[in-house]
Amino acid sequence: MSRFLVDRDGETHVRLAEGMELTKSQAVLAAVGFVALLIVPDITRFTPLSFTAIHRGILFGLAAVGLNLLLRHTELVSFGHAAFFGVGAYAAAVLASQFDVSSGLLLLLGGVLAATTISVLIGYFVASYLDIYFALLTLAFNQVLYAFVLQSGYFNYSDGLNVRPDGLNPPALFGLQLSSTGYELVLYYFTVVVLIVSLLVMWKLVNSPFGRALDAIGQNRTRARFVGIPVEKYVWVAFVISGIYGGLAGGLFALLQLHVSPEATLYAFVSGEILFMAILGGFGTLVGPVIGGVVLVYLLVQAPFYIEYYNALTGLTLLAVVLFLPEGILGSIPKIGTGLSRRRRDPGLLREDLATIGSSLRRGVSRAVTTVRIIVFGVN
Amino acid sequence: MLEHVLNGLYYGSILFMIASGMTIIFGVLGILNLAHGELYALGAFSAFSVIGFIAGQVAAPTGPVTAIVFGLVVLAGSLATAAVLLPVGGALEAAFIRPIYDRDEVYQLLLTYGLLLVLTDVMKFVWGPSPVDLGVFGGINEIPTTELVGINYPSYNVFVILIGVAVFAWLVWFFDRTKTGRIVRATAINREMSTAIGISTDRMFTLVFAIGAFFAGFGGAMVSIGPGSASLGMGLDWLVLSFVVIVIGGLGSLNGAFVGSILVGVSSRVVTPYYPQLELAVPFLLMVLVLLLKPEGLYGAWGEIQ
Repeated sequence: MSRFLVDRDGETHVRLAEGMELTKSQAVLAAVGFVALLIVPDITRFTPLSFTAIHRGILFGLAAVGLNLLLRHTELVSFGHAAFFGVGAYAAAVLASQFDVSSGLLLLLGGVLAATTISVLIGYFVASYLDIYFALLTLAFNQVLYAFVLQSGYFNYSDGLNVRPDGLNPPALFGLQLSSTGYELVLYYFTVVVLIVSLLVMWKLVNSPFGRALDAIGQNRTRARFVGIPVEKYVWVAFVISGIYGGLAGGLFALLQLHVSPEATLYAFVSGEILFMAILGGFGTLVGPVIGGVVLVYLLVQAPFYIEYYNALTGLTLLAVVLFLPEGILGSIPKIGTGLSRRRRDPGLLREDLATIGSSLRRGVSRAVTTVRIIVFGVN
Repeated sequence: MLEHVLNGLYYGSILFMIASGMTIIFGVLGILNLAHGELYALGAFSAFSVIGFIAGQVAAPTGPVTAIVFGLVVLAGSLATAAVLLPVGGALEAAFIRPIYDRDEVYQLLLTYGLLLVLTDVMKFVWGPSPVDLGVFGGINEIPTTELVGINYPSYNVFVILIGVAVFAWLVWFFDRTKTGRIVRATAINREMSTAIGISTDRMFTLVFAIGAFFAGFGGAMVSIGPGSASLGMGLDWLVLSFVVIVIGGLGSLNGAFVGSILVGVSSRVVTPYYPQLELAVPFLLMVLVLLLKPEGLYGAWGEIQ
């Protein structure tokens, strides 16, 4: 066994660093994902796929990765994550348009710092709340921010701000003033680097003692407190970390769109979308939220160009995920894989599947009939 | 000042009709229904078809008597509109909500969000993408109520405030005095026990969801008759606002929803003329304040209608 391959539980694992190991199929998936990320600009040149939409999806996915720290480990549903995304984007926009900061990295740094400050503040208030109250309180803070930005002349009301320091050109990246195509490409590869570093950091984080403590908090707060975990403080820290991810994504979003508006970055439904990306991609996995981000942004932003009833398409996709793929897209791959290989070995299972589908259809119809009867004849 | 308060009461009554449906659905079924705003919008759109048809059958008002007849016809029309929502709500509950009662709340949010999107497009399919305006408001304003007592105020708004109070009274009566209402409350408090004593929880849940949809549709019809037009996406703001209301009042509490909507309605309408920049923020500032001081809301009681 070499330095990068270890044997564990009778299976070969690929080892990236101390404590970071992948099974063979995970390593293949990761490699495929990595290559796919790198060749996205080429793919979009030869196919009708939209480069900007994929880029944007990755950014929202990055915010969803941050949210997933709360969702997966502390089991808190944050419905106000657009606050950090929006604050990150707006901080970059304000720096660019009001203070003429032209360096893209400085703008990003400003966005991250602003999001950190806001998440420290909000986290202080929400850390001790649970369940639906946590969700609604984060939503409330998000909407207060939204209302504040929407009605403030400094942020140019609902029209939003441009992220063009001299009023014309995009900010400089790494000291270079690039043409628009070059700017997009450089920004994309910068995003990829940021994404991979963020994912690795998140992986390290959730596998650290801190991550384990968050798991414990998610499972049972009282017990976690009993074994000596400072619950509120840890939740607060986790909240701030996820806020930093949101701010990073928001800052990059401002650099990508070169325009920031309250509707697109701060509205409550952006929070909802970030949450749904995590679930859609599979919130039990690390990379799932990114995939969910790309898929959902694509459905919401690109589908209108192809069909008229794009909302219904998105809605039906979400319904299908909830009813048939509760683990999300990425989380279901192992299950689907084993299911398929079992069916290949034993064709008799297919007949059972058909029977299951038939009986569930029958049950659905009889339920519908009952419902109609209840509605027509009243209850009891 | 009085006019602002009355405007606030009008706004609060509409809000109450939407929020009450949402709060009883949450209180009994435990589902935070994101599609509720779209049920309200569906009510507004259906009102365009149903009331447009019914009001076309009577002459436009000329004197007090014909005006009152016209008003009654429109009221019957809005009831008929809301009745359209009963089967819709029942079918939605039976087909989509029922399989996910025992799942994580994130799935419930995701599913109802999916329903929201689908319903939006259903309305787009039926009524087209542009807003529709019913505009029978002027006809109802012929009813001479408010000028009689010396205030010049649209009588339609007074009419809606009275209906809001009537809806609240009916709901309190239903859950407090009727057998079905008590059974629903029993189901909300303890599902296993009520199943054990022979109550069909499935039926109860379908019924409750249908009632919730009914009142959302009723609110939609009221807005659609009034100065507002029915447009796609009209449900979103009201959805977020009714969140605010039921959180201020306490999740699942009917009294809370009533007090919360009046509070939100009046405060936002009274504050707005003086500090226009606070218009959107007022409800949310109220909500943050209430949550920080009294996390369970003003009338908070878990999973129980009261």
